[in-house]
Amino acid sequence: MPEFGNENNPDKFANITEKISKIQIGKGIIKILFLLILIIYLASGIYIVQPNEQGVIKRFGKFARIDSPGLHYHLPYPFESALTPSVTEVKRIEIGFRTVRGGYVEVSEEALMLTGDENIVSAESIVQYRIKNAADYLFNIIEPEQTVRNAAEAALRQVIGERKIDDALTEGKYEIQEESKVLIQELLDSYESGIVVIAVQLQDVNPPEEVSSAFKDVASAKEDKSKFINQAEGYRNDIIPNARGEAAKIIKEAEGYKVERIRKAEGDVAKFNQVLTEYQNGKDVTKYRLYIETMELILPKMKKYIMETNNDTDLLKFLPLSDSFMPEILGKEATK
Amino acid sequence: MRKSLLIIILVLVIIVANFSFFIVDETKQAIILQFGKPIKAIQQAGLYMKIPFIQNAVLFEGRLLIYDAQPTEIITRDKKTLILDNYARWKIEDPLLFLQTVRDINGAQARLDDIIYSELRVDLGKFDMSEIVSQKRTEIMKTVTERSNEKSIEYGINIIDVRIKRADLPPENEQNIFARMEAERERIAKQYRAEGEEESAKIIAETEREKTVILAEAYKEAQQLRGEGEAEAIRVYAESFNQDPEFYKFYRSLEAYLNSFNENTTILLSPDNEYIKYINDLSGN
Repeated sequence: MPEFGNENNPDKFANITEKISKIQIGKGIIKILFLLILIIYLASGIYIVQPNEQGVIKRFGKFARIDSPGLHYHLPYPFESALTPSVTEVKRIEIGFRTVRGGYVEVSEEALMLTGDENIVSAESIVQYRIKNAADYLFNIIEPEQTVRNAAEAALRQVIGERKIDDALTEGKYEIQEESKVLIQELLDSYESGIVVIAVQLQDVNPPEEVSSAFKDVASAKEDKSKFINQAEGYRNDIIPNARGEAAKIIKEAEGYKVERIRKAEGDVAKFNQVLTEYQNGKDVTKYRLYIETMELILPKMKKYIMETNNDTDLLKFLPLSDSFMPEILGKEATK
Repeated sequence: MRKSLLIIILVLVIIVANFSFFIVDETKQAIILQFGKPIKAIQQAGLYMKIPFIQNAVLFEGRLLIYDAQPTEIITRDKKTLILDNYARWKIEDPLLFLQTVRDINGAQARLDDIIYSELRVDLGKFDMSEIVSQKRTEIMKTVTERSNEKSIEYGINIIDVRIKRADLPPENEQNIFARMEAERERIAKQYRAEGEEESAKIIAETEREKTVILAEAYKEAQQLRGEGEAEAIRVYAESFNQDPEFYKFYRSLEAYLNSFNENTTILLSPDNEYIKYINDLSGN
């Protein structure tokens, strides 16, 4: 023991009591140091699992248990070690484009893909995923992002490849998303990757830029089609009511005519009946009076010639003559 | 004295333990070599023992590995060229065999290049482009995976999945496709416009037809009404005039004279005429 003390205390001139007390102090320091190191060593097993994490504990490299969020303890190195992957964080992968410092860059070799009818479309999508099983995720795969990206590209191309271009561009969008999601999940499950795909969002399915104007023209042709039809409908909406109106007018006019005709007849008849009644009271006189009165009314207006004729042939000679010529001859005849 | 001995022993134990124990992580697998000769494979994670200085442990990756090939051109059965970008998932199935045949991951990648590329070439050459792109993709991939795996198993490699990431056309073919797509769209656009014109013409023609029918129906009804009016008038007239037809003729004639003669009318009157007969004959005979 003294040698031990001597080594630690090179001061050879110090008295024994001092020596002894120093040895004791030295021994104490070592003990404390040893204890401290032991405490630090044991304390290195304390670790915290954040609310978004899971604690994965390995004992001698072998998966031992999962710890939920909170303060936990594992045996210190080399017995146990802990990994704390974030399991709630949703990661995203962009396919066909990249967001670079807020900007947007198309990656056409990723975006362009063949459709089932050998057309080419440009599809951009986002895949969101997170860790489903932390142990699988940590122990079964390498480069998880690359794994998801590969699976997503393969799946998306397969799904688009099964479709015709018009489906892919329009109504098939939702189905493409869902089918891709299922397919990606199947692939990732077959790798036992411990990853769950939350969503596949098809951002945009467009015809490639090289032919986009032709596609736009189809859209405007569709518009033109309905425009033509609307114009025709407009024409129809103008013509038919007009025709109905005209028809109604024709019918109303006819109705009016009918009533007019009947009322006129009734009026005429009423007048005639009156006259007839009076006539029957004095037939000859009335007849003569009516005749003379009528002549009196009409003759003043007319050109009149009174000719003595014994037979009708003389008169007939003059009949075809015109109005202007007749008076001259007639006049001569008359003066003779 | 005893304590220092204890410490020395502890240090020695730690050193010996360090040389005779080793940890295989969940992500790893191992082989124990004895003087460089593989004697045991370890595929379960955990703590293992070896004889210090005589044996040593070599660790291998235990996780699923990525093989991502460079895009290659392949020719389909219908003589079309496709640029194929494929990837594969593989793992070291038998580390002993793996070590003996390909040594490490780089060696394995080179071997996988050969195996998968040749299998793809052979299998895809049996199908038309459209089958590869759409209908048969899954089936083809399954076959390629199985065939490749049969070959790779002798290298201790298990190919789990070979998958076509991209199957695209070479740029010169792409141009052809674009031209075709454009022509197709032009056709569709024309069709839409022609359909619009067709519909429009149909609607206009139908409108004209309806208009004609409406007017004709109206004409028919109108004529009927007029006829009814005429008939009724005739009936009314006849009923009344038949009371004394002779008088009616006389009366109606007078009315007609009144309406039809005017200043342009010239009349030749015989002195015998009833109206002027009294000019010649005062006596009235």
